[in-house]
Amino acid sequence: MKTTDIIRRAGRSLRQAKTRTLLTSLAIGVGAFTITLSLAGGQGGRDYADAIVSANTNVKEVAVTKQAEDADAIAEYDENGAGQVSGNSPGPFAQGLEFISQDDLADMTAIPNVEEVTPGYLPSIDYITTEGQKKYEASVSTFSPSVSLEYAAGSVNSDLADDEIILAEDYATTLGFSNPNDAVGKTVALGATKLSTLFTVPDRQEFTYTVRGVSSESGLAFRSQGSLLISEKASEQLYDFVNVGTPNYNKFVVVSVIVDNEANAAAVKAELEDQGYTAQTAEDILGTVNTFINVLLGVLLGFGALAVLTSVFGIINTQYISVLERTQQIGLMKALGMSQGDVGKLFTFEAAWIGFLGGAIGSGVAVLAGSIANPSISEALGLGDISLLIFSPMQVAVVIIGLIAISIAAGIFPARKASKLDPIEALRTE
Amino acid sequence: MIEVQNITKTYGRKQNAFLAIDDVSFTIPGSMTIAILGKSGSGKSTLMHAMSGLDRPEKGQVIIDGQNILTMKAKAVDAFRANTMSFIFQSFFIQANESCFDNVSLPLEIAKVPRAQRKAKVEAALTAVELLDKKKSRARDLSGGQKQRLAVARAIVNEPDILFADEPTGNLDSKTGEVVEDFLFNYIKKNKAILIVVTHDPDLAKKCDARIEIKDGKISKVTGLEVKGKK
Repeated sequence: MKTTDIIRRAGRSLRQAKTRTLLTSLAIGVGAFTITLSLAGGQGGRDYADAIVSANTNVKEVAVTKQAEDADAIAEYDENGAGQVSGNSPGPFAQGLEFISQDDLADMTAIPNVEEVTPGYLPSIDYITTEGQKKYEASVSTFSPSVSLEYAAGSVNSDLADDEIILAEDYATTLGFSNPNDAVGKTVALGATKLSTLFTVPDRQEFTYTVRGVSSESGLAFRSQGSLLISEKASEQLYDFVNVGTPNYNKFVVVSVIVDNEANAAAVKAELEDQGYTAQTAEDILGTVNTFINVLLGVLLGFGALAVLTSVFGIINTQYISVLERTQQIGLMKALGMSQGDVGKLFTFEAAWIGFLGGAIGSGVAVLAGSIANPSISEALGLGDISLLIFSPMQVAVVIIGLIAISIAAGIFPARKASKLDPIEALRTE
Repeated sequence: MIEVQNITKTYGRKQNAFLAIDDVSFTIPGSMTIAILGKSGSGKSTLMHAMSGLDRPEKGQVIIDGQNILTMKAKAVDAFRANTMSFIFQSFFIQANESCFDNVSLPLEIAKVPRAQRKAKVEAALTAVELLDKKKSRARDLSGGQKQRLAVARAIVNEPDILFADEPTGNLDSKTGEVVEDFLFNYIKKNKAILIVVTHDPDLAKKCDARIEIKDGKISKVTGLEVKGKK
C-alpha cells in the first residue's frame, strides 16, 4: 500500500471516531499549550531583559566594586570611626564591600583601553523645592547619555548642562506644575547639608537648576533609578559640598569604568578582577537576568512535559482500544494482502495525526490566547508597549513536530499489536 | 491451475493435538467453480486458509501457476494475495462507516493500483453488482443483500484469478442469496477465474462445477474433479 493512501485511510478512520480523536488530541493539546506559552514567555522575557539592560546600561561600561578581604568576618569596632557620620556609607546593602580610594581610581585609569573612570557620586540631598512650594524628599543620580529615557516633556539628546536637571513626572506634578510641559525651563532648588557640620552649626545650602526635561515612567527603566538626574559635574559639586571633611570623603562604593570599545569590556573586566576588584559588564547583568528567566522557563517546560507524558498514555490507551475494536478490519486488510508493515504504519499514522491535531490545537489556542492577553499582561506589569509573550512560527512548528514524534512513539505499541494480529483469528465468525 | 498436495494441518499440541486437515490433495486445472462442503469443524475453512496462504500447514504444498505459495516469504505472499486472490465472507466485513466507494477501493490501494486508474475500476465493479447509485452512501445504510453485493464488488474490483467465498449466502435469505450468487458466477465466467466456495449449503454446491466433501479433515467424496494421488 502506498504511504499516501495509508495516511488518507488513517485520517479517515480518525474522522469516523471524531469525539474520541478530539478528546485524545486535547490531552496532548494541554501539553502543547503549556509548552508554547512557556517558550513564548521565555523568548519575551529574554527580549525584555535585553531591552532593559541595554536601555539602562552602557555596553562600554564596567561597574567596579571592591570586595573586603574577609567579607564574611564580622568587622571589629573602630574607636576612631565611632560617632562619625559617613556621608557615603556603603550601608547595609553593601555589606562586605570596601571603599575604592583615589589611588585605586588612578590604578584603574592606568589599565589599557580604559577611557574614563567615574566614581559613583550618589550625593545625598535633603529636599527638592521650587518657588512657593513645600520641600519634598528626593534622591539624585547622575545622568548618562547612554541610558535611554522616555520623556513626558522636553528631551535631552546628548549632554545635560551642569545647571540643568531632569525631573521624574511625579515630581513635576507634586511641585505644583500644572503639567510636565509647564515644568520645562522652570527653576528648582535642591537643599543639602555639609555632613561634617551636622553636629555643630549645620551648613545648609540650596543649589538651583533649570528643568530641561521631565521623564515619564518607562517599562524599561529600573525602579531604583534616581528620580532626579543631574550632570556628572553637578553630581561631583554636590558630593564635594556634602562630603568634604568626612572620613570617607573621596572614597566610593561603585566606580564606573568606561572602556574605549565594547569588545574590550571583557578584557578590562578580567584585568580589574586580577587587581582584586569585582567587575560587572552589561553582558554580565544580562546573563544573570537570563539565568533567572531560563530557570523559570525550565520549570514551566517541566509542567508541559508532564502534561505530554500523561497524554502519551492516553494515546496508547485509545489506539490500543481502537486496535481491539477493529480486529475484523485489520484481519480483512491482511487477507486482502496488506503487509504487516503497512498495517503497523496505518496505526502509526493515526497516532501521528492525533499528535498533529493536539499540537496544532494546543499551540493555536496558546498563540490566540497569548496574543489577546498580551496587552493586559503588559498593562498589569507596567511594561508599556513591550509584549511579554513572543511567539515565533519556528517555535510553534518545532512544538508540533516534536509532539508528532512523541505521538508516533506512543503509537508503536498499539501498532505492533495490530501488525502481529492473526488474520484467521480476526476473521473467525461466531 | 491450483495444485494442492498432501496438506496437513494440526492445531494444539501433544495430547490436545487436533488434526484439522489430514493429507489432502487435489488439483483445480483451470477456470471453474468448486464447492468445498462439510460440516462445521470438518476442516473446510482451514483448507481455504491454507490455499490462500493465510495459514501455513506443517506439511504439503499449494502450487498456484507453478509457484509454491507456502514457501514464499510473508511479504511476497501478501503481494501475491493482493494481486491474484480475493475473499468474500459470511458476515461481509465491510467498513460500515466508510462510503461504498472507499470500501471497494481498498483492495486497489493494497495492490498499489495508481490512483488515476482506481475510479474507473471501482465504478465498473459497483456497476457489475448494480450498486453504482450507492457510490457515495455509507456502507452501514445498505440492506443485508446490498452489503454482500458490495463485498462482491470489493472482491472482484482488482480482477482476481482466484476468488474464495466463505459461506457467501449464509446470512442472506434465499432470494437475495441467489442474486449474490449470480453476480459471483457471472464474474467467474466472464473473467475465466476460479471460484472456491466453502459452504454447507447443498443448493449452492449443486450450482458449482465440482464438489469436494470434507469429513474429519479428509476428502470423503469428490464430484466433477479428477483427484491425483491417494485419498
